[in-house]
Amino acid sequence: MKTLLTDFSLKHPWWIFSLVLLATAGLALQFPKVHFDNDPENMLRADEPIRLYHHEVKERFSLYDFVIVGIVNEDHEDGIFNVETLGRIDDLTGQLLSLEPTDRGEIRVTTPSRGDRAAQTATLDLNPSDLFHRLLNVAFRHNPNRLFDEEGHSAIVGRELIAPGVVDNLKQAELGALKLEYLMERPPRTRAEALTIRDDAMGNPLYRGTLVSEDGMAICLYIPISEKTFSYNVANLVETLTADWPASDQVHITGLPVAEDTFGVEMLVQMATSAPMAGLAIFLLLLLFFRRLSLIIAPMVVAVISIVCTMGLLIGLGFDVHIMSSMIAIFLMPIAVADSVHILSEFFDTYHRFQDKAKTVRSVVGHLFMPMLYTSLTTMAGFGSLAFTPIPPVRVFGAHVAFGVGLAWLLTMTLIPAYIMVFVPAKSLANLQPTGLAHAPGPMARFLERFGRISYRHWKGILTATALLLAVAAFGISRINVNDNPVKWFTEDHAIRTADRVLNHHFGGTYTAYLTLTAPESSQVNAETVAADVTERIRDRLSLIFPDAVGQFLGDIQATLRTHGHDASALLDALGPKAAAIDAQLAGGWDLLADEINYLDPEGLDRSGLKRVVAGLTGVDPAITATLFSEIERVDPAEGADLQDTALEICDTFTERRFSQVLAECRTAWFAPAFKRPEVLRYVEDLQRHLAEHPLVGKTTSAVDALKKASFELNYRQPGAEAPHPAPANETYFAVPNTVEAVGQVFTQLEGMKKKDSLFHLVTRDYRMANLWVQLKSGDNQDMEAVVTAVADYMAAHPAPDGLVSDWAGLTYLNVVWQEKMVNGMMTSLASSFVVVLLMMIVLFRSPLFGLLSMIPLTVTISLIYGLIGLVGKDYDMPVAVLSALTLGLSIDFAIHFLQRGREMTRQRGSWKAAVAEMFREPATAISRNAVTISIGFTPLLFAPLVPYRTVGFFLATIMAVSWVATLFILAALSRGLERWLYPAQNVPAEPEPSNRKEKCHV
Amino acid sequence: MFKRLAGFMVLFHALTAWAGEPDVTEIIEKANRAAYYAGKDGRADVAMKIDDGKGNIRERAFTILRLNTGEVDQRFYVYFKAPADVRKMAYLVWKNPGREDDRWLWLPALNLVKRIAPGDKRTSFVGSDFVYEDVSGRDLAADHHELVETTDTQYVVENTPKKPDEVEFSSYKVWIDKDTFLPRKAEYRDKSGKLYRRVEALAVTDVDGYPTVTESRVQDLVTGGSTLNAFSNISYDLGLVDKIFTERFLRRPPREIR
Repeated sequence: MKTLLTDFSLKHPWWIFSLVLLATAGLALQFPKVHFDNDPENMLRADEPIRLYHHEVKERFSLYDFVIVGIVNEDHEDGIFNVETLGRIDDLTGQLLSLEPTDRGEIRVTTPSRGDRAAQTATLDLNPSDLFHRLLNVAFRHNPNRLFDEEGHSAIVGRELIAPGVVDNLKQAELGALKLEYLMERPPRTRAEALTIRDDAMGNPLYRGTLVSEDGMAICLYIPISEKTFSYNVANLVETLTADWPASDQVHITGLPVAEDTFGVEMLVQMATSAPMAGLAIFLLLLLFFRRLSLIIAPMVVAVISIVCTMGLLIGLGFDVHIMSSMIAIFLMPIAVADSVHILSEFFDTYHRFQDKAKTVRSVVGHLFMPMLYTSLTTMAGFGSLAFTPIPPVRVFGAHVAFGVGLAWLLTMTLIPAYIMVFVPAKSLANLQPTGLAHAPGPMARFLERFGRISYRHWKGILTATALLLAVAAFGISRINVNDNPVKWFTEDHAIRTADRVLNHHFGGTYTAYLTLTAPESSQVNAETVAADVTERIRDRLSLIFPDAVGQFLGDIQATLRTHGHDASALLDALGPKAAAIDAQLAGGWDLLADEINYLDPEGLDRSGLKRVVAGLTGVDPAITATLFSEIERVDPAEGADLQDTALEICDTFTERRFSQVLAECRTAWFAPAFKRPEVLRYVEDLQRHLAEHPLVGKTTSAVDALKKASFELNYRQPGAEAPHPAPANETYFAVPNTVEAVGQVFTQLEGMKKKDSLFHLVTRDYRMANLWVQLKSGDNQDMEAVVTAVADYMAAHPAPDGLVSDWAGLTYLNVVWQEKMVNGMMTSLASSFVVVLLMMIVLFRSPLFGLLSMIPLTVTISLIYGLIGLVGKDYDMPVAVLSALTLGLSIDFAIHFLQRGREMTRQRGSWKAAVAEMFREPATAISRNAVTISIGFTPLLFAPLVPYRTVGFFLATIMAVSWVATLFILAALSRGLERWLYPAQNVPAEPEPSNRKEKCHV
Repeated sequence: MFKRLAGFMVLFHALTAWAGEPDVTEIIEKANRAAYYAGKDGRADVAMKIDDGKGNIRERAFTILRLNTGEVDQRFYVYFKAPADVRKMAYLVWKNPGREDDRWLWLPALNLVKRIAPGDKRTSFVGSDFVYEDVSGRDLAADHHELVETTDTQYVVENTPKKPDEVEFSSYKVWIDKDTFLPRKAEYRDKSGKLYRRVEALAVTDVDGYPTVTESRVQDLVTGGSTLNAFSNISYDLGLVDKIFTERFLRRPPREIR
């Protein structure tokens, strides 16, 4: 039964070869369909609510993913604001905006004309110059010149570009006029012009700390791209366009999309180099251990076929190759090699006993079938459990590694026997001598034997030490930091990390999150409340002047409330005509009078002339004219325009007192959308002020900032300029205006700026939802989370007016969400696979005690590894999380082999004491070779420029080392301590098997 | 040789004029008069709907007064009636073709008259897809004009800016009705030659003997946004006086507005 597959393979090796070849070729043919996905957003399911919300926010506020280009000049005395650098920035802006495809699909950019220089058009080719990268691009179908969509539109969303030459600015001009123009309408020609641009930018809260650094040394361009996948190529384009800039104008490119996209591209390079390097290292090590090429080739072939088939399956099933799945090859390599090495190693060791290839293979497979089946099944369980995490790429990864492990097992059972039958000539086996004990023990063997003795003699010490270590590990685990940041996937000296450092030093922060504040849908306004408000306002404003009319109108309010009490809006509608009638009666005369005066020609106008005109008016009560002239006498203006103005001002004091005016104010106060209400806007202002004090927040930007700036510029009076009334200081206008109307009128100015609709990145067109642009200095999840908590705490302590609801979007925030899911997902998957593997072990050993014992090395390893991660302060990130599955899969293998053999030997020798010396010879050597192979095999990963690969390389080695020590030391020590229960009544040696190795070895 | 050629050109032009086909200068002159100078003065109520292309619609209502003060000079008064928060807000524009316009703004809630410095006339008019130049007309001298097509009913004129750096388009084409000389459609191309903007007169009626656009629309072909203007209560030759186009009348709107 056990050897059914193997028997078939021994009889029909060519059938096996053909089948394997066919399957491999079939799956390898899927490779050209490969599609890469390096978007961490896809760590979340496409229909995940936060992702949907993120896209809704982007859509509502017309937001795009940005490639951030920071230009820093630390050498010039004026920093970045010098004529030359600003000129270059203007050129770059023009070039980016002019990007267009030629008829032949090439890239064309136009440098705008400046001074005497005419506009220049150039065609670019962004393909790398060296052959290796060109080949890689061909292999991975990456086209560096892809900067246009199918319809030929530029990847850069030109109208949303943020650069000094294309963002609005409001400023004072001659004669107290207000100027609407771009911040850098044209590149400066003189130092003074350059410094004016600096002062304008610094004076605008929308740009200080965002577009220009507060130290004046840096400017950031925010290049919006239509799709994230363009970011690497856009970054590349900027690098090409700025290649000839002097060293003093440093160009740094960053932003999450660039980091993510760059990672993807470099990941491909890693796939093409790391995995083969690891393969080569393993190959050389095996050669060193076994010194027999024919023995090593087969395991390598098994590994390669497993990897090719697994990747082919993944691609064929239509999955994208993601950051995780790019590591499949690296994970499969050691696991696939291990099984076949076991078989071949035993085959060569025992051949001399049978002198027949088929018979030897049958014996070896019969002997190793169960442990190998179980080691494979447990590894599959470990990785398979990842298929139940909530993170799609991790699921795909787990399921496919599990498949690959199963395939490697199947190949070991079929392809290896077939290989032996066909490719290993019987002649070469004829002179085989038994290895191992016949030879003088090598250094490893001597070392291991000493190990064995220690484990037996000092078992209590070992267990105590283990307990102590576990205690330390527990402390370490308690300090684990769940944190990730795609920018930190690059090594310290990578250009992206440098850019990140430099730009976050100069600016408010390059990590963006969007805090949205939304007013609830239609908040029902109570008619009685509105009626009470109208009543109060009418009383306050009008009861002293028009006591009778006020009494009448208040009666009207009550009457209308009875008929229209259900609807506040209808109430105000119904009161409208009544107010208008009262107004006509009270102020109608004044209106007529003012109108008439307004049309008079001020030239030569004197009081008698004015009296003549007024006297001729019909419909104006003489009492009104009398009031007017007594007031004029009191103010005593000069003649002409002064007289006319005074007369109009007097009229105004009466015409302003209108019932309909009060009604209109009530309407806007109760029905204006949230973000036109001063109290709501001031709340946002306070929230921003609070956030500004948070050490992780570099800057926040909102519609309130734009509003305050516009209010200031509109109200600004030039010092010394004649003012009609004593004017308050200009600074006081840098504030939210006091009424809904004033807010609405200032916002209307912002709606009609030169760059249309830029206000609507910060507030929706209906003013019911606002978007706070929060810039963080760090993209670490933890830091983002801290800011989320800070906002939640603030809003809990200071309830928002209008029942505003807050929410988050933005890539930095998205990362937090999937991290959280990943940690919880990994915990559950680890726990469930632990239980599954434990059950398998109990079945395998037919003993709960052995089952539990076999779980000890991996438990210790996982605890120590995560304890170590906690202690050294390494963040628990995605690769670290996935390592738990690998540990489970690999560590258990050692335990299975050790316990299985230990049991056999104890049975043969009669006691653990007798078996232990034997155990630390051949079985321990096999385990040690395996551990060393895997650890050393992955050292090439340590030189990868991408941190996740380094992490995997380092921890694989550590896991192997710890599992190895844990298996050999702790299991041996426990076997000694638990001997009574593990091996009860083992006093009689079991009947020697025919294949008893010790006897034969001494032949 | 040159002289002879020049003489020939003059003769050629004279002949085409004689044949009944006006030359392009005449067409655009007449179109400009028809579109922006009807009567000595005029007024209209405008209902504006700004659609952002995603289903969000903003509405504004305002009244426009216009007075022709010279051969080409004009004055405009724009008075807002809705939405409620911008009620009574007003703009005053003195259009001075050939030199910078003068503009003032009245914000009643801030009790503020502010002069707006001359600037780009191609900025959005109160946040709509119309630009100031659409409202008050583009200086004819700013473009080169070429009659590219004549159909049974329309002249098609291609216009290219003399100072391409100052505008966002590379050219625009205007379709002008032969009978009324009213421009019915204008299409703008961006710097790479792609069509991105369309202005249309959707409805034309006769008011007091003047062919008048009663509905017009601008489409932003890139964002899908559009703005629709519906004109009502249109009248001409009301006898407006130029003093109402002054700062004083910003604070207290003229009777003709109400």
